[in-house]
Amino acid sequence: MGASMKEIKLRIKSVQSTRQITKAMELVASSKVRRARERIERTEPYFNSLYDTMSKIAYGKRDFTSPFVEPREEIKKVCYVIIAGDRGLAGGYNSNIMKLVESHSKAHGHPICAVPVGKKAAEYCQRKGLEVLTDQYKIVENVTIGNCMEAAYFLSEQFRKGAFDELYVVYTNFVSMLTQRPAALQVLPVTYTKEAAKDDLTDMVLYEPSPEAVFDAVVPEYVSGIFYGALCQSYASEQAARRTAMDSASKNADDMIEDLSLKYNRARQGAITQEITEIVAGAEH
Amino acid sequence: MSVFHLKIVTADGKFFDGEAERVLVRTIDGDVCILAKHIPYLTALGMGECRVTGSNGETRRAACMGGMLSVMDNEVTLIATTFEWAEDIDVSRAERARRRAEELLHKHLETRDLELAQARLKRALTRIQVGK
Repeated sequence: MGASMKEIKLRIKSVQSTRQITKAMELVASSKVRRARERIERTEPYFNSLYDTMSKIAYGKRDFTSPFVEPREEIKKVCYVIIAGDRGLAGGYNSNIMKLVESHSKAHGHPICAVPVGKKAAEYCQRKGLEVLTDQYKIVENVTIGNCMEAAYFLSEQFRKGAFDELYVVYTNFVSMLTQRPAALQVLPVTYTKEAAKDDLTDMVLYEPSPEAVFDAVVPEYVSGIFYGALCQSYASEQAARRTAMDSASKNADDMIEDLSLKYNRARQGAITQEITEIVAGAEH
Repeated sequence: MSVFHLKIVTADGKFFDGEAERVLVRTIDGDVCILAKHIPYLTALGMGECRVTGSNGETRRAACMGGMLSVMDNEVTLIATTFEWAEDIDVSRAERARRRAEELLHKHLETRDLELAQARLKRALTRIQVGK
């Protein structure tokens, strides 16, 4: 009995220290998620205007051709920008992204290359042996809008050169604190949805100095805006996913501690009862 | 004077959202000034001063760098990479950035670094000019 009491006590201690860690991680994640949400709110108007304007232009495009708008006839290669986290312990956050990349690329059936953002994404690419275009954005927490700009210029240039024929960004949409949805968004060639370009744009748009020059300057800006928006969403999602995961881990730890304390008390009671029985039996004889 | 709806946004948030009489910006092709009832228009922005005249006739100045300007249905959207109102510009910081960039330019740099330093110098100069 004594041995099992000691064992239970040790278990309780270890569960307690684990709980301390999960609780601390939960608190850190909730303060980070608050800041990340503020950032989303700040960037949302930018993101939306950029997307609306681009959709309108792509939709109203009549009098010129641009390699950034025209869908390519033969798709030889598809590039994915995969935005995941640097660390695990965030529930299904990282694995959901990887699953989406897998199913998406399988559904399209083209050879792929990737730009991993975040350590987990880089590890995934390495494990799968994917062709990696650049791995300088390994740490997702350090990626700034400047980096997005840089990456956007680089990828637009590669796209124009024909290194790949479609560009997707795979990220996680921050729906609410409890729901985060992974999504794959086509960035290049620029697509439009009918809803975004509500009205039929029958008027001609004046481009200065020329449609091509404007597009060359504007498309990388658009791509970088999308990257930054996706990054903000993903970062908030990661923190929210971690918060939820750590919250349930702490709750589990609480349950375990309760359960173990009960067992410990029973064992202690059992030991005492046994001792009394022994003493009484000894006194009678 | 008739007005139009002007929206100025960057990745750092919204800088202007309301009625304006006119807006003057530097595009990659030179300065343009947009008034109300402009035809649909799209251009890319360069680096330079931006002047916004609100519906009350007051003009505000700002340093505006990169991005695009679009006019659709009497609605003007200015999506900038960076946008700072003149009163928010830290001139001493821009001066420091200018000196650093100039020092860099005196050294022999590779093409890419040279371009970066030149862009930095240009940005600093724009800020100084607007901020003063």
